[in-house]
Formats: sequence, C-alpha cells, structure tokens
Amino acid sequence: MRKYVVIYRSVIMENLQYALNIAMGFITYFMIIFVMIQLWNTIYDTPDNLIAGYSRIQMIWYVMLTETIWFGTRTATVTRQVTSDIKAGNIACLMNKPYHYPLYILTKYTGEWSIALPIYALLAAIAGILMVGGLPGFRPLTFFAAVPSFLLGVTIHGVFKLCISLFSFWIEDSNPFQWIYDKVILVIGTLFPAEIFPAAIQPFLKLTPIYTVCYGPAKLLVDFSMDKYLEILAAQILYLGLGVSLMFLLYRKGAKKLYVNGG
Amino acid sequence: MSTVVKNQLRVCLLSVKYNIMREMLNKVTFLTNIIFMMLNNAAFLIQWAILFRLKEDIGGYTLREVMLLWALSASSYGLAHLLFARAFSLSDLIINGKLDSYLVQPKNVLLGIITSSTSTSSIGDLLYGLVILCVFCFSFRNLVLFLLFTITGATILTSYALFMGSLSFWFVRADLFGNNLVNGMINFSTYPDGIFKGVVKFILYLIIPTGMSIYLPIHLMQDFHWGQLFLLLGFMTLLLAIAVFSFYRGLKRYTSSNLMGART
Repeated sequence: MRKYVVIYRSVIMENLQYALNIAMGFITYFMIIFVMIQLWNTIYDTPDNLIAGYSRIQMIWYVMLTETIWFGTRTATVTRQVTSDIKAGNIACLMNKPYHYPLYILTKYTGEWSIALPIYALLAAIAGILMVGGLPGFRPLTFFAAVPSFLLGVTIHGVFKLCISLFSFWIEDSNPFQWIYDKVILVIGTLFPAEIFPAAIQPFLKLTPIYTVCYGPAKLLVDFSMDKYLEILAAQILYLGLGVSLMFLLYRKGAKKLYVNGG
Repeated sequence: MSTVVKNQLRVCLLSVKYNIMREMLNKVTFLTNIIFMMLNNAAFLIQWAILFRLKEDIGGYTLREVMLLWALSASSYGLAHLLFARAFSLSDLIINGKLDSYLVQPKNVLLGIITSSTSTSSIGDLLYGLVILCVFCFSFRNLVLFLLFTITGATILTSYALFMGSLSFWFVRADLFGNNLVNGMINFSTYPDGIFKGVVKFILYLIIPTGMSIYLPIHLMQDFHWGQLFLLLGFMTLLLAIAVFSFYRGLKRYTSSNLMGART
C-alpha cells in the first residue's frame, strides 16, 4: 500500500507544476457551459418553469456539476497511456515492476484528478455564481455529504475507462470504444438528469454507469434527499466492486496473451 | 508556374494517400475507427431528440435544421482532419523544435507540414455528414451547396487552427490558448446560432469564426444570396492569407531543438 501512496504523492507533486495549464483548460469548460446556459435559457420559457422537476437554475447547475466531473477527470492516463503501453509493448517492462499495473494506473489517475478536479470545481463555482446565481436551497452540509459520492463517481469512471483500455490486449486500438463510452456518459448523463428521459427508460439508466458516475453525485448537490443518498451510495459501492473485479479479470486474461518479440 | 502548382498538389495528394494507406495497414482498426466515429456522432441525435421533445423550435431551428448543422460541422471537421490533421497539432511541432525535417524538403514547407498526418476517424465524420444530409434534407441543390460549404468550412477551420498554432512561435502557452479556442469553435458549431444574442454573435462571426464556417452556410442553404456567398468566400480567403502570413512570419523566429529525425 505504501508504494501506491508514494506514487500518488509524486503524481501530485508533478501535477502541481502544471496547475496553470490545467486552469487554462477551463476556457473550453467555460465555453461549453456558456452554450448550455444559452440553450436552457431558450428552452425555459419562464424562469419559474419546471422541466422534469428541475428549475432553470437547478438544470444549469446540474450540467455544470457533471461537466466539472467530466473535465476534472479528463486524463490520458487511463486511456491513451494504457493503450499505448499495450500496443507498443511497454507493458512487458511495466508488469515486472513491484506494483500491480492497473492499480498503478489508477493511483496515477487519482493523483491527476486530485489536482484538476478541485481547480475546476472552484472555477466552476465562481463562474456559476456570477452567471446564474447560487444554487437554490444549497446547504454546506449537503456538500460534505455529497463528497463521498463524488469520490466514488470519479473512481468508477476511471475504472471503467481503464477496463475499456485493457481491450487493447485483444484489439489494437480501444479508442473507438472509449468514444462510445464517453458519448453515452456525455450525452445521456452529463447534459440531462435521468428524470428528463421517458419513464420507461429511467429504470434502465440506473443500471448503467451514468447513474453512478455523473447523475448520482450531481443530483445529491442539486436536490439532496437522504433516501436518494443511500440509494446512490449503495449503487456506487456495488458498481465499484463490479468494475474493479472486471478490471482484474481483463488484466489477468490479457496479460496471458502477451508474447515477447525480443529486442 | 502552373507546373509548380500541379506538382505541389500532386505531392500533397500523395502524402494524404500514403497517410491513409499507412492507417489501413490494420484493416479492422481502420474500419472500427470510421464506424465508431459515425456512431459517436449519432449519439447526439439522442440529445436533440430530447431537446425537441421539450420545445419544437430552439433558437429558430427545427430538428431538420439542427441535423443540417450537425452534418456540415461533422463534414467540415472531417475534411479538415483528413487532409490537414497536422495543422491542429502545429504548436506541438513548434514548441518541441520538430520542424527541421520539413524545412529541408524541396517542396512547400507549410503544405508539407499540414498534410503530413491524417486522422482515420475523420473519414467517419465526413461520411456521417453526408449520410445525415441524405437522410434529413437531400436534394441536388442541397448536395452541391453542402459540398461547397464543407470545403469552405474545412478551410476556415484549418486556417484558424493554423493561425492559433503559429502563435506558438511568439508566445509561451499559446498552444493551450489556441487549442481551447479551436475546440470552442468546434463546440459552438453544433448548436443553433439563434440561442446566442448580442455581442456573442459578433464574437462567433469574427473572433471564433463558427458563424462564417457553419452558421452562414446553413442560412445560405435555407435562403441563398450571392452577396453572402461572396462575403463567405472573401472571409475565407482573408483568414487563410492571415494564417499563411503568420506562419511564415513566425517561422523566421523558429529555433531547432537539434532533434535527429527523418521523414521518408
């Protein structure tokens, strides 16, 4: 365990050097949020109108929170690095190191979002308050209650992206599968809360990563309820268990397919 | 003169051809990239289906117009990344001093650089645009205008990326700034311009030229005016000229990092 703490600390130190670069990425985030604000302003005829139980400000904050998760966890470590390690054969060297490769990647990913996510969250909160005003009914206690859900959400996201990257053991390029996963999360989970979909589809959404990665954490901050809180945390723990098991299984099966060409 | 231009164009086309052939070495990966990019774009149909369930008219656009917007954005992006993918990572070459191998080639430096790589998935974007056009609003007139505006859109997008990339010759971190603005241009291009008001519209037509690459062509496809077409072509030529000028002006400041490399 200590070695992963050392890796985590070194990744944090490394990423602190690039904090300004990370903050520069906020320009794209800001432009996307700006578009979404204009879009929802057009769709909501009056500010008091409710769509799927959400007011205009709640809807915008929901999108801002999910986009914060999306941008704060955007890293090539669980995607391009793993694919490239497998494709280029680097993995043959890395798997001999005194750590478990997927856990090493997950630790590195955690170190990266530990810097990026708080920066995005802070800048998003400032931009949100300035552009649409504060979140109605927000209490600091809700924030602290939602933190574990956010942590579990971003970890599940990383585990699933890593699982997809491990497909590179079988197919050369797993990127196309990442696009589909990303688009499902982005289009269905990030841009809309689950309640906006037809009632017949909503139970199925609960079975997808969308519910645990973005909908759950954002919903808790926008519209907190204890029942929902326990339901989301239980779903996240279950999902994390399944995701990590799948990750170990894929890595074990994939590593057996490796062969050394020499060199 | 015409022979020089012809030879240069031939070299560019050969460069793109060999880039694609290299990508085709693994046929499964090549096809997966194209098909999945089309599916990736199609995912946004869900977004718009939901939004139009909430409101029939969004910023003056119906579902048909939004699909046309998406088709043109995807095709322009696809064509730009198919032919000139390296224009979108120019700052990386400048910052890391990797331009040397292009400078010693006996052909046009700029064209040599921007045609030196291809994004396979961009073929999926290009095809997706054509498929959407055929499904939602096909007519011979629309097809001709669509192909013309795909070329103008790709030229404006590439010129903008080239200009932003060239800023790295002068400024530190211009790559981050430029990438953000190019991404912003792509992001804005998939939403109706009717949702933006006032000064933002001005910015979208002149500073982040999504208006000229996508919105104006969409309006022209709805209601054609020769004057607006010439305005679009004039803007495209001007932006291209600024991009080329800034690249060559910046190239004079370029310093090599003495990297050993060869292009075959």
